[in-house]
Amino acid sequence: MHLKYESTLREPLVDGVKDYHQVTEDIISPIEAKPGKLWYVGFFISLALLGFGAFSVFWQIYFGVGVWNLNKTIGWGWDITNFVWWVGIGHAGTLISAILLLFRQGWRTGVNRAAEAMTIFAVMCAGQFPIIHMGRVWMAFFILPYPNTRGPVWVNFNSPLLWDVFAISTYFTVSLLFWYSGLIPDFATIRDRAKTKLRKHLYGIASFGWTGSTKHWQRHESLSLVLAGLSTPLVLSVHTIVSFDFATSVIPGWHTTIFPPYFVAGAIFSGFAMVNTLLIITRKILKLEEYITIGHMEAMNKVIVLTGSVVGCAYLTELFMAWYGANPYEFDTFFKYRAAGPLGWSYWIMMTCNVITPQVFWFRKMRRNVTVTFVMSIIVNIGMWFERFVIICTSLYRDYLPSSWSYYRPSWPEVGFYMGTFGLFFTCFFLFAKYFPVIAVAEIKSVLKTSGENYKEKMEVYEEESAEKFAHDVAHAH
Amino acid sequence: MEQKKYWKGLEELHNTEAHQEIVKNEFSEELPFESESLLNATTPRRDFLKYLGFTTAAATIAASCETPIKKAIPYVNKPEEITPGVANYYASSYTIDGEFLPLLVKTREGRPIKIEGNTLSTITGGSTTAKAQGAVLSLYDTARLRFPTIGGNETTWTELDKQVAGALAGLGGAPVVVLSSTLLSPTTKKAIGEFLAKYPGSRHVVYDAVSYSGMLAANEASYGKRVIPGYRFENAWTVVSLGADFLGTWLNPAEFAKGFAATRKINAKNPEMSKHFAFESTMSLTGANSDYRYTHKPSEAGAVALALLAAVGGSVTAPTLDPKVAEGVKKAAASLKANAGKALVVSGSNDVNVQLIVNAINNAIGANGTTIDLANPSNYRQGNDVEMAKLVSDMNAGAIGGLVVYGANPAYDYFDAAKFAEGLKKVKLSVSFNDRVDETTELCKYVAPDHHFLESWNDAEAKPGYYSFTQPTISPLFKTRAAQDSLLTWAGNTTPWVDYLRNEWVAKLGGIEAWDKALQDGVIEPATAPAIGGAAFTGDVAGAAAKISSAKKGGKLELVLYEKVAIGNGRLANNPWLQEMPDPITRSTWDNYACISNTLAKTYSVQLGDDYEINLGRKVLKIKANGKEVELPLLIVPGIHPEVIAIAVGYGRSEKVGRAAGGIGKNAYIFSSFNGTTVDYFAPEVTAEATGAKYDVALTQTHNSYEGRPIVKETTLEEFKKNPHEVNEDRAELQKFGKDFRKDATLYHNYEYPGIKWGMSIDLNTCFGCGACTIACQAENNVSVVGKEEVGKAHEMHWIRIDRYFSGDENNPEVVFQPMLCQHCDNAPCENVCPVGATNHSNEGINQMAYNRCIGTRYCANNCPYKVRRLNWRDWNGADSFENNLYDVADMNDNLTRMVLNPDVVVRSRGVMEKCSFCVQRLQDAKLTAKKDGRPMKDGEAKTACQQACAADAIVFGNVNDKSSAIYKIRNEEQTERMYYVLEETHTLPSINYLAKIRNKDAEPKAEKEAAHKEEAHHA
Repeated sequence: MHLKYESTLREPLVDGVKDYHQVTEDIISPIEAKPGKLWYVGFFISLALLGFGAFSVFWQIYFGVGVWNLNKTIGWGWDITNFVWWVGIGHAGTLISAILLLFRQGWRTGVNRAAEAMTIFAVMCAGQFPIIHMGRVWMAFFILPYPNTRGPVWVNFNSPLLWDVFAISTYFTVSLLFWYSGLIPDFATIRDRAKTKLRKHLYGIASFGWTGSTKHWQRHESLSLVLAGLSTPLVLSVHTIVSFDFATSVIPGWHTTIFPPYFVAGAIFSGFAMVNTLLIITRKILKLEEYITIGHMEAMNKVIVLTGSVVGCAYLTELFMAWYGANPYEFDTFFKYRAAGPLGWSYWIMMTCNVITPQVFWFRKMRRNVTVTFVMSIIVNIGMWFERFVIICTSLYRDYLPSSWSYYRPSWPEVGFYMGTFGLFFTCFFLFAKYFPVIAVAEIKSVLKTSGENYKEKMEVYEEESAEKFAHDVAHAH
Repeated sequence: MEQKKYWKGLEELHNTEAHQEIVKNEFSEELPFESESLLNATTPRRDFLKYLGFTTAAATIAASCETPIKKAIPYVNKPEEITPGVANYYASSYTIDGEFLPLLVKTREGRPIKIEGNTLSTITGGSTTAKAQGAVLSLYDTARLRFPTIGGNETTWTELDKQVAGALAGLGGAPVVVLSSTLLSPTTKKAIGEFLAKYPGSRHVVYDAVSYSGMLAANEASYGKRVIPGYRFENAWTVVSLGADFLGTWLNPAEFAKGFAATRKINAKNPEMSKHFAFESTMSLTGANSDYRYTHKPSEAGAVALALLAAVGGSVTAPTLDPKVAEGVKKAAASLKANAGKALVVSGSNDVNVQLIVNAINNAIGANGTTIDLANPSNYRQGNDVEMAKLVSDMNAGAIGGLVVYGANPAYDYFDAAKFAEGLKKVKLSVSFNDRVDETTELCKYVAPDHHFLESWNDAEAKPGYYSFTQPTISPLFKTRAAQDSLLTWAGNTTPWVDYLRNEWVAKLGGIEAWDKALQDGVIEPATAPAIGGAAFTGDVAGAAAKISSAKKGGKLELVLYEKVAIGNGRLANNPWLQEMPDPITRSTWDNYACISNTLAKTYSVQLGDDYEINLGRKVLKIKANGKEVELPLLIVPGIHPEVIAIAVGYGRSEKVGRAAGGIGKNAYIFSSFNGTTVDYFAPEVTAEATGAKYDVALTQTHNSYEGRPIVKETTLEEFKKNPHEVNEDRAELQKFGKDFRKDATLYHNYEYPGIKWGMSIDLNTCFGCGACTIACQAENNVSVVGKEEVGKAHEMHWIRIDRYFSGDENNPEVVFQPMLCQHCDNAPCENVCPVGATNHSNEGINQMAYNRCIGTRYCANNCPYKVRRLNWRDWNGADSFENNLYDVADMNDNLTRMVLNPDVVVRSRGVMEKCSFCVQRLQDAKLTAKKDGRPMKDGEAKTACQQACAADAIVFGNVNDKSSAIYKIRNEEQTERMYYVLEETHTLPSINYLAKIRNKDAEPKAEKEAAHKEEAHHA
């Protein structure tokens, strides 16, 4: 039990009159009931999208990457744009679960479960792209360094694309472990409440024999800390390494030293926006407004306006360096073909969505407005998609030799593939919302008695006490 | 039992320590998989089971993937002259339509796979053209006729001979006409003569699809000889081309390119080069390579010639011309006069009067007998428009009994094809020797298909005494028969053609050995080159001038027909390589179109710019002239006269011609017309209106300007003489990094190349952009054909492309051609980004591709600053394990067509990256040959395909570590001032250097030049 005293000035993290049982009821009962109509509609739309995506991918694998509209000049388009976008989205989960845990940010408890799930699903979606984008996807295993009979032929450790393989797979593994270890006590709760044999059996397996003993809790807490420690550097490293794909190249617009921090900030920016999108929907559908409060959203909106401004600074720095660096190719890329030129429109969408519109979050009223937050979360993710598109395509389409300049529009299998990952993401998310506790029950309980609204009200008595008495009581407490 | 101990050596007997050591380590070297740690592992049994499980599973999975099985059948009895894996070369000749190119044909296991120029010929010196390079593919054309037919039905040669003989006998004395394109073979002509002699009153009519009849007639009027003179471009220090595309399509371009290139090679020690003026209506390859270029309407061609004659002192009055053109005429005349005796004027007009005026100019500037050789005229074109017109009217009058068509296709390319077809119906006996069911053959009753030239025996006489031979490089693939055999048979001569030819030459040369040697060399030439000679000019200048002056003036818009470098007159149209070769000027593939200027395009609300660049769809124009009309997409070509539309001939072939050519583009020959003596390839009155439709044209390059970037370096001769270093002064900046840019500008280790280090030099001054290298590379390296739609998606596969940039005035720009291929960077950006190490560097400096290892991430292509890497976007070759996903628009995967593949180069499967390999198979071959001979490799033994094909020798290749090599000398001695590397400042360390282009024109003040760059950047 927390011995923490929290001022009533601080917003409660759980609204309403709750006790432990009520918390369990609120969060677990949707898992035990039949899903609503909306859930079915959403789930089947997601499945349909996933099916279309699978067909698009089949089409591409069967007939070749040539069915995409990439070409001799523009080797990456929607594929890698989507990859970076999804990886970026995947950042929020780890940031919330690891870094905020280390910083003892209590508010993370309401959102961390869903955010971590989102991370896992987003990284799953992201991983599709670098694999499927290969010309010979059936040879994808060549990128794994394993002993082989071909000489043996080794992978090229100089290639940032190989670093990606390690970065993404490590990130995925650690995130999954983190997420799952948090789920174990909650699974045990479901198991213990189960009224059907199958549920009892399945959640029994999933909860690994959790009994809730002190030893279990102690180990659980240490594991959480260890994993948080492990994944903290990952939050920074994954997108740094993704940015190396571009930063280590020679292409003007890619060859930029600012990329690592700029990518990480952008990733957190888009990740938080995605968390907002999902949580606003989830709290509405599952009626969890008392657990995912306006306060949570405000906290995330603050991060969004911060990272959005960091990203904006990076954009301006890039422009400055393109001028100051006096490299004519880089100057042309930024000022003639990125901010202007046939693909210039994408740059201005990016600028508008990522830098200009998030500034509304300087206003408290806006930060605490659910509609504004929802619309902004979508806008930010559109903007961040365009940021990756701008970086990849506007750098490639008009680079060194004007003879090779080209243009790019996606073909249907490229769009289909992207839609398919939405299908995958939401299929997973709907399943998660149905079968998994979307809020970490155990963790909410741990903050309930210090930060729950009705408990905070009880604190008012103490608030009125004189400081001397409080100090005296604390000093002589047994 | 006695325990005997057998010992193998004293060591064993005495069991020394050393011996014990050896016994302990049976394998003196560690096996890679049995390292100490693995053998001593704590659980080797479990590891063993793991490996066993994994390998079994992997093998099962691998074995279940069915890979296509291609059967290779070995020889049962090996032919004596064929060693599998070793190429044989046979001399041959390319003489289609009168072009003359002595060749060497490379055959592997009995299949011709590559064509090279025959360096023994002093006329072409081993030059080739794109068409000649592509001809080997035409041998394996699936649309070729495979047997003789009568009325479209298969028949036997015996039956055909019987019926034709019967038909010939039944003509009742009506004349038979052999209608052929230009034939260079004297013996074939003799055979034709024998055939004609059998049917009295018969005649041989020569008809060229693109006629030079006007020139022949003018020469008859001027010199009393109906000939085409020999042109000696190598002696000309001023060349004025009046619409003659002598570098691309005019007469024998490879020969002229070689001669012209000799006057364009320049270095700082000897800064002299020829000056080239071009006056033309459309933008030709020749105009693109000129120093001064002026545009006029096609109806003004005569006026320009007259003005030039007046300016060089002819007694004619100069007509009024556009001031710019008049200025150009003045400049050209001054230069011609200054270089009298070393100057040459050539004209592409088919008008007798214009050609006569040109002869007068040449006579006035002393070209007659110096650069124009009338003592040794060439046979390149022999067509006679008047005779052809008479034949067509005779046919329509029913006066012709039989027509034997030999290599001509007037039903397609005659100005009045309908009338020809109509006349053909009235001819009782019609025979075609053509190799496919082309437009004319379709109308003929008897089809007796001739061999492809690579299957035939023949001879060719380019100029008096200059012969080149053709011998079979493969047994006839089909039931075809030499046309000469057919003619001889029908003439009643039972000697087979091969004997007929041999007898002829054995008699001429005086022995079978001499004949064998002639076949081996491929050419026979006079022991000493005959002296250049002129002829007395007796032309009626005043009469010609009067006719020109009274010629009809053109309308607001005029039309001119031209030949594309790759497709020419359309004879080789069904050649996928040539169809896909980007046009040197427009960079388009697979189509013809209406070329118009940006100024004219604006009247159709189209103009150069981003929108034009990023969209494939081109507005379709309905073009009407001479009462005919055609709908074609417009294409903006900077440099074409603003009131002119230019359309390429050779397109709009019938579907039966083959899958590659059939139905592509529109036939533009319909706009040609007959003026009473010759066919005109322009129309002075034309209208064009937008139809509202759009049509996709597949271009390989959409941006026209190099944006003033230092990737192309050029200067003028005047500036170069003043300061040879000026063109490369930006290279001085690299000195900031230290003395040696290679070593000092990087943090990383510098790799030395102690053995061979390959390098290439490309001279921008002598690259004329003709594209022969592109096709040579395609043939040598099995580069795939992708088809129009995929080219439109920028998926073309060419390993070497020729970038074409315009600069300056949009209606008369300067042009530069820059061959671009893998630069084989020593610090290659592509190499370090490949996650699987599929592209890496050899210790000879070659950037190499391991196709089997490539997984197709395209990262390397993205990171290539030169954009020369090509992914196999689709299954072009049937080389993957997926069924029914082959993407082949031109029958390139037919078992017949695949015979053209070079067995030394693997075909690439779908999804892997490929690019120029510096023809590594040739380099290995050269090294091995030297090794077998036990000597170091000599410079020039290893040649890349592009280098070998180049008529202008713009490409030099070799070992840069060899101080005696040409490449070493270029880089370190001869061309230090002009030499530069593209994007050198990125420290990619390319293995290919370029030599800056030098234009022989007056220097512009620097400020003006910079303003021009800005202007050009604005327009592009």
